[in-house]
Amino acid sequence: MASVIGLLFRRLLISFIVLIGVSMLIFAIARVIPGDPARIALGPNAKAEQIEQLRAEMHLDESLPVQYAQFLSDLSRGDLGTSLYTNRPVTTDIVQFLPATLELVFLAGLIMVLVGLPLGILAARYQGRWPDHLVRILALLTVSAPGFVWAVILMLLFAFYLPLFPIAGRIADIHEVQRITGFLIIDTLLAGNVAAFGSAIHHIILPAVALSLSGIGQAARLTRANMVETYKKPYIEMAHAYGFFPNRIARSYAFKPSLIPSLTIIGLDFAAMLGNAFLVEAVFAWPGLSRYGVAVILRKDLNAIMGTVLIIALTFLIVNIIVDLLIAFLNPRIRYSTREAS
Amino acid sequence: MTRKTTLATVLCVASLLSTPIFAETVLRIDEVAVGELDPAKASDYADSILMFNVYDTLVIPQQGGPGHVAHLATSWESDGATYTFELRDDVKFQSGNSMTAADVVYSLERMQALGAGLSYLFTDVKAEAKSDTSVQFTLAQPYAPFVASLVRLPIVDMAFVKANSESEWGEEFLSANGAGTGAYGVKSHNPQEETVMTKSDSYFLGVPDVAPDTVRLRYGLEAATVRTLISQGEHDIASQWLPPEVIQALAKDGAQLLTESGTGAFYFKMNTTKAPLDDVNCRLALSHAFDYGTAVQMIAINDEVSAGSPASGAIPVGMYGANPADAVMARDMDKAKEYLDACKYDAADFNIEVSWIAEVPLEERFALLMQSNFTELGIKSEIKKLPWALFAEQVSKPENTPHISQLFVNAVTGDPDTLLYGMYHSSTPGTWQSPEYLSDAKVDEFLDAGRSAADDAGREEAYKALNARLMEIAPTIYGFDRQSVFAASNRVKVPALSDASQAFGLDGMGFSFRLMEMTE
Repeated sequence: MASVIGLLFRRLLISFIVLIGVSMLIFAIARVIPGDPARIALGPNAKAEQIEQLRAEMHLDESLPVQYAQFLSDLSRGDLGTSLYTNRPVTTDIVQFLPATLELVFLAGLIMVLVGLPLGILAARYQGRWPDHLVRILALLTVSAPGFVWAVILMLLFAFYLPLFPIAGRIADIHEVQRITGFLIIDTLLAGNVAAFGSAIHHIILPAVALSLSGIGQAARLTRANMVETYKKPYIEMAHAYGFFPNRIARSYAFKPSLIPSLTIIGLDFAAMLGNAFLVEAVFAWPGLSRYGVAVILRKDLNAIMGTVLIIALTFLIVNIIVDLLIAFLNPRIRYSTREAS
Repeated sequence: MTRKTTLATVLCVASLLSTPIFAETVLRIDEVAVGELDPAKASDYADSILMFNVYDTLVIPQQGGPGHVAHLATSWESDGATYTFELRDDVKFQSGNSMTAADVVYSLERMQALGAGLSYLFTDVKAEAKSDTSVQFTLAQPYAPFVASLVRLPIVDMAFVKANSESEWGEEFLSANGAGTGAYGVKSHNPQEETVMTKSDSYFLGVPDVAPDTVRLRYGLEAATVRTLISQGEHDIASQWLPPEVIQALAKDGAQLLTESGTGAFYFKMNTTKAPLDDVNCRLALSHAFDYGTAVQMIAINDEVSAGSPASGAIPVGMYGANPADAVMARDMDKAKEYLDACKYDAADFNIEVSWIAEVPLEERFALLMQSNFTELGIKSEIKKLPWALFAEQVSKPENTPHISQLFVNAVTGDPDTLLYGMYHSSTPGTWQSPEYLSDAKVDEFLDAGRSAADDAGREEAYKALNARLMEIAPTIYGFDRQSVFAASNRVKVPALSDASQAFGLDGMGFSFRLMEMTE
């Protein structure tokens, strides 16, 4: 237990340093993107004096280190400034838009794990036979097309030609749900509104599947490859020699050691979905943070860019810490090496 | 149960059964990424739709013709620099407060203080409440289009804003809530998802029953999404920003096409400070070599509807000073060659930069058309893709401004002054509207005359002379008069966007929901 706490402490420390680095990097990059944010914010008809006034209000007329110090000072008070895109505090925007993206990404991640891993196990278990070939073809198809292509294909198939699923939004217009967590699936359950819950699930299925498809392919391919390697290990041969059932060998002896590399990639995929979700969000008119992030970058909305990137980076780091802890939990060698190191 | 109770119950049930049940009608439309609800910050199309429905203005454009009619006002009079408006006394805000002259003064001062959106229209204006129903505007100098500008001064409920906000101007409050007299109130507003508006019971003109009960204005829908939604009957009016091929596909599926025109044009703007376009003959050569007919064909939706009509000159048809609609611009290669021969530069040395805005893919096609047209004249050109942000920065210096920039420009008040002054007056160079960097004394004179003319005839004369002068010195290739096209389901009738006699001639005002009719 002490070793895991030590690992957690070290990861948190590293994450904090990474966050500072990310904030400095994005702060600098956001300011070299072409275009004057004040001019863009005030619109094409703004006068030079108005632009200068806004530049002064945004501290854009000061040096970069002074601007960064000002940003850190505001951040320490939980103030990310005002978005020039929505004219609201960036924190208000993040609180409003983040749950929609997290809900989508969590479900997509769940689908990725629940479908990708079993497909990988199936392919490895029947290596060289038709289930293996089928899984490999499916995996190749899903990996080779990005999420937004799947989004459009799924929309055409299951909303346009076969109108089985809704096309846009998070819930049907007729439902009014009081916002508690911002996660509609949870809020509808808390409200005890079964019809609204059904509607929220109905709306999220297509975007979540579209977002998860490439991850499913990757998880399946990786799990298969790792399990095929594991099947060559002597202890698996011994299990066969003892006459254990193939399914038991696959489940109990081959899968667990193969899971560790897959878990790392799944963790990365999961976090990457936060960024990749924007096109899927755009296709399904999903009002999430990823779509907001792209819009603010295009408008050079400096405060909103910083806020969005920091939140996505933070989520990325949290997911990585969780994955590291899971791996440490699954692999005793890592726990022991951590303990020895500490 | 007594006999009386039984009878009463039967009667109640019978009356309930015999009462017709009217289903709520919902209109669903979409626009670009974000809708700005604060009327003082409104500038683009989505903002205008919100503004014209949640708020009202003292005057509105006359439907189907030029000029303006009183709206929140009952009448007005002017001596050139002073305008006095008498207000209606029966107008209530959605909060229940009565609208008075103090609200008009507050709205103007608020707009000036925030300095955003179209506030530049009211820079040198002061307002004073003479009584509850009389307000006087004093202008620093006579400005004939002032009445037209008032269509961009929505009246805000001062008492309601102050009661709900700690700040004087209530910026945060009005970014999320409505405080107007409009026919529709804001039910909810998510700037990235949608704004939901519902009919106001207290609207001073009343809202017909056939108008939609609820309107959902959705933001940032993808073209594929809109197409699917309309096909499934889950959307009513698509934004004008759909690619032409999607509008064509929707029209083929039976969607009606709504249009809005007379407010602007598409221009190819030539940098008059950069060789060889600092020579008027060279500019005239290019403008005569351009294939106007093909350009208009490129934006056609079908045989009957197009996203533009052939230009007849520098001023769009329908505005003061415009040439007749049938006097269309046409390609003339012989004249182009004549002008090229008269140009002081050698055509073999030309390398014309033709830019296009990265966010508007259609402009790449026009750039290619120009390149092909100019090649026929023996002129080399280079196509340059510029993101909007970079373009806006580059045009602030003449040496960085490309030879040719492509732009849609609109008259934000419907008056030609707001279209032409910013483009061509020598005091306004270096903005996105004026990459020509034109400095011409006669043009300045005509533009100023258009502002100070005492009556409509004087303005017509000033703008006619301006049009002729702009054709003569060709700072711009006048591509086509713009027409916005909206694909719509057949569940809704929109006279202001389908019947020229009902059109407002102001961007976004055709989307006055109170004038629409839901048929299902």
